[in-house]
Amino acid sequence: MSAHDHDLDAEGCGGNAAPYVLGALEQEEYEAFQHHLATCAVCREEVAALKLVADALPATAPQLSVPADLKSRIMATVQEEAGWQRAAESPEAGRRPAGARSGFSLRDWRPLGAVAAVAAVIAILAVAVQSGGGGGARTIRAQVSAPNASASLRVSGGHAELNVVGLPQTAPDRVYEVWIKRAGAPQPTDALFTVTAAGRASVGVPGALAGVKQIMVTSEPLGGSRVPTRAPVIVANLS
Amino acid sequence: MLADEELMHLVYRSDAVAFEVIYDRHADAAFSLAYRMCAQRALAEDVVQEAFLSLWRTRARYDRQRGSVRTWLLGIVHNRAIDALRRRAVRDRPIVHEEGIEERVAAPERTDAEFARREEAREIREALEQLPDEQSRVIELAYFGGMTHMQIAAMLDTPVGTIKGRMRLGLAKMRMALGDPAEVLR
Repeated sequence: MSAHDHDLDAEGCGGNAAPYVLGALEQEEYEAFQHHLATCAVCREEVAALKLVADALPATAPQLSVPADLKSRIMATVQEEAGWQRAAESPEAGRRPAGARSGFSLRDWRPLGAVAAVAAVIAILAVAVQSGGGGGARTIRAQVSAPNASASLRVSGGHAELNVVGLPQTAPDRVYEVWIKRAGAPQPTDALFTVTAAGRASVGVPGALAGVKQIMVTSEPLGGSRVPTRAPVIVANLS
Repeated sequence: MLADEELMHLVYRSDAVAFEVIYDRHADAAFSLAYRMCAQRALAEDVVQEAFLSLWRTRARYDRQRGSVRTWLLGIVHNRAIDALRRRAVRDRPIVHEEGIEERVAAPERTDAEFARREEAREIREALEQLPDEQSRVIELAYFGGMTHMQIAAMLDTPVGTIKGRMRLGLAKMRMALGDPAEVLR
C-alpha cells in the first residue's frame, strides 16, 4: 500500500471524491486520486454521482451574452485551420499551400521512436534558467531544435506560459502539442497550437507544475496525439 | 436541427460551419461560467477563446459516452479558468464583478429551449441556495473561486477533513434535491 492509499483509507474511501469533481485537489493529490480510481470501484461510483452535480454548477452562474467580437476571432482561426485540413486532404496535398510556410518543414523530420527520441533530445539539450519578472516569477529559456527559433517558459505561481518566436509553421495537417513530463512517459495536454507568420505563439501550459520535470513540444496530427509521434522541437527543463 | 453529438461528427471532419453552430449554442454559457470565475471581462474572453480552440483542436478526442458536448466544453472552460486564476493570482482581486457588465450583456431569453434551460438553472440555483451556508460556501469557493481544499481550509481556519466533508455533503444534498441532474443538464 502506498502512502497515498494509506491517507485515503485514513480519511475514509471516497474522501477526495468531492474536491476531485470540484477541481479542488492539489495537482499531486489529483494525480494520486486518479491512480486510486483505477482500482477503487467505490470511489469511481462516488465520483460519478458527485460529478453529475458538479457538472450542473455552471448553470448557477448569471447567464450573460458572450461579446460579439469574440466569435469572429475564434472562427477566423478555426476557418484557417479547417482550410489547412482541406488542403492536406486534397489530391494536391503533397504540394505546399499557396502563401503558407517556407523553409524548415517538420515533414522532413525522420520518424523516431517517441520515447527514444525524447530521451535523446533531452540528453543533448541544454537549458538555461534566468531570473526574471517579479513576485517569484522566473523565465526558463528552452532549447529549440528549429533554426533561428527561440522559446521561453515563464513560470509563476506554480503555472507556466510558453512563448515561442521564429518557430516554423506546422504543415497544414499538423499542430504543435505541449507535453508534460513528470516521472515516466510524457503526458499529453490539450494545449495544441499553431504559430503566426512570424512564428510567434503564447500558450498556457495546462495544470500545475508540481512534480513536472520537463515541458516539451512536438508536431502532431490535427487533434493531437496521446503519445509523441515525433521528436520534440522544444524542451524546457524545470528540475 | 442536428444534435450537438451529430455536429461533432462533422466537426471531427474539420467542418467549420458545424463548429460555428456549436459555438452559437454554447458560447453564452461558456462566457457566463468564465466570467463568474474570473470576474474580469478580458480574462473571461481569453478563457472562452482558449476553450473553444481547444475543443476544435482536440475534437478527435471527443467521446459522447463520457458526456454531452456542453458538459465537455464547460469542463474545459472550468479547467482553463482555474489555470488562469492560479497562474495570474487574480484570486487576490476584490470579489466584485465589473460594474455594469451584467446589465450591459445580460442575455435575453430568445427561444423555448433557452427558457427551459433557465428554468432548469433556477432549480439548480435553488438546490445550491438551500444548502447550509457552510456547505454552499466551500462548494462555491472551490468550483467558482478555483481554490484548492487546502487553501479553503486555511482561509476559513477549518480542518481540511471538515472542508472535504462539507463539500461532499453539500453535493450529495444537491443531488438528492435535483433527482437526476444529468436529465436537468440535457
